[in-house]
Amino acid sequence: MNAHFFAGSRIGCHCHPIERMQYSYSFVLLLFAASCLAGLLGALLGVGGGIFLVPAMVLVFHLPMKIAVAASVVSVIATSNAGGSSYVEQRITNLRLGMFLEIFTTVGALSGSILALYMRDWTMQFIFSAMLGYMAYAAFSTRNLDDQRIAAGEFTNARPDRFSRWLKLRGEYYDEAAKREVQYVVNGIPIGSSIAYLAGLASGLLGVGGGVLKVSAMNRYMNVPMKAAVGTSKLMIGVTAAVSSILFFLAGLIHFTVVGPVAVGTTAGATAGTMIMNRLHSAWLKWLFAVLMLYLAYEMLAKGLDSGFHFHLPSYG
Amino acid sequence: MKASADMNNGKNSGSGQPKQGASEELNVYGDVYKVLLGGMVVSTALFVVGIVRALLRPQFVPLTPDWIKQHYHWPVIIEGIRAFDPTVIMLIATALLILTPIARVIVSIYAFAVDHDRMFVLVTLIVLLVILLTVVLGLFGLK
Repeated sequence: MNAHFFAGSRIGCHCHPIERMQYSYSFVLLLFAASCLAGLLGALLGVGGGIFLVPAMVLVFHLPMKIAVAASVVSVIATSNAGGSSYVEQRITNLRLGMFLEIFTTVGALSGSILALYMRDWTMQFIFSAMLGYMAYAAFSTRNLDDQRIAAGEFTNARPDRFSRWLKLRGEYYDEAAKREVQYVVNGIPIGSSIAYLAGLASGLLGVGGGVLKVSAMNRYMNVPMKAAVGTSKLMIGVTAAVSSILFFLAGLIHFTVVGPVAVGTTAGATAGTMIMNRLHSAWLKWLFAVLMLYLAYEMLAKGLDSGFHFHLPSYG
Repeated sequence: MKASADMNNGKNSGSGQPKQGASEELNVYGDVYKVLLGGMVVSTALFVVGIVRALLRPQFVPLTPDWIKQHYHWPVIIEGIRAFDPTVIMLIATALLILTPIARVIVSIYAFAVDHDRMFVLVTLIVLLVILLTVVLGLFGLK
């Protein structure tokens, strides 16, 4: 086993990133297990695994931030292919809306990944820490009111805006829980497109899917039911992450020996997580995730302060 | 536009299966599903082969972009395939994974064209242009 790898592999020792690694049994199995867990936790929370995967690779495996972000963004494609295809098969995905918003997410991903190429690791760690803090807050503030909105016919009776009439953006899917067809009219195209750009930017810069931003934008501002928003977001994530991946690939930041276990592990974890997600809807799960994300936000901040300014915050890993 | 208008309207009546006679709008959904599933299966299989192969031949590998870019040459890739090199196998798996959503976009352009949905042919072409711009920037414009 690689001495570099185990030297201070404890979370929070703020060691400097390793420059060589050994492709040993323990490294592969640990990376695979961590990726499975990240994918599982991500799916339970209704997001991709990137939000947990990048901190795991940076804090536990001491991989350089850019290698971690690049590996994560490739694994995001894998989970999108796996999750996205099943939503397409069930025809919950709104393909037209997804294709339209992809214009903005891909431009966002291109901008984000260009920023990532030139940004210093510690700056990316600060931004990642801020995003984890926001996600901890979002875990509580998001309330799913879809059942009431479906019952009240809010989705069906909304007025389309100029753009959605022009693009004929509407949709219909069969809701298993409500046992009925849910029709909806898409509106709020300008604000939805703007948030889609930001989601792409976050994806390219931080190696996450950006699904949280896209789903909440579609559900809150574009009158898309939650399930259709999740399916459409999953589809978009793939091509968005592909754009960032192309740039990272050509820049030599995608380390294939890291990507292998990470992509397979995240997909396996996310698939298992999606299967058990519907059975776990308790309030304590939200608390658990919020505490975990706040902790990771702190550790990423500490890592950034350490590598950027040699300022050591106490570690609790 | 008839097919594209139907396309979003599910047509699955809760059974998960499309109704008969709704064949045109199946183009996009069916093709997209096949591309995503195919890409996922092939790349995952290659990754598993690469991981197993790497485990059988553990070694120290550098984490530098220069070392990674050494593999971006056809002779190296062909030699890697011949030698069953784990890094090259996983390079191919990664490339396939990245190409899957791009193939999905290309297939969608064709499927929208078959459905005579010109507006969405244009929308999807713009997405493809962004992808091409990324390739050009990655090859010539950045770093």
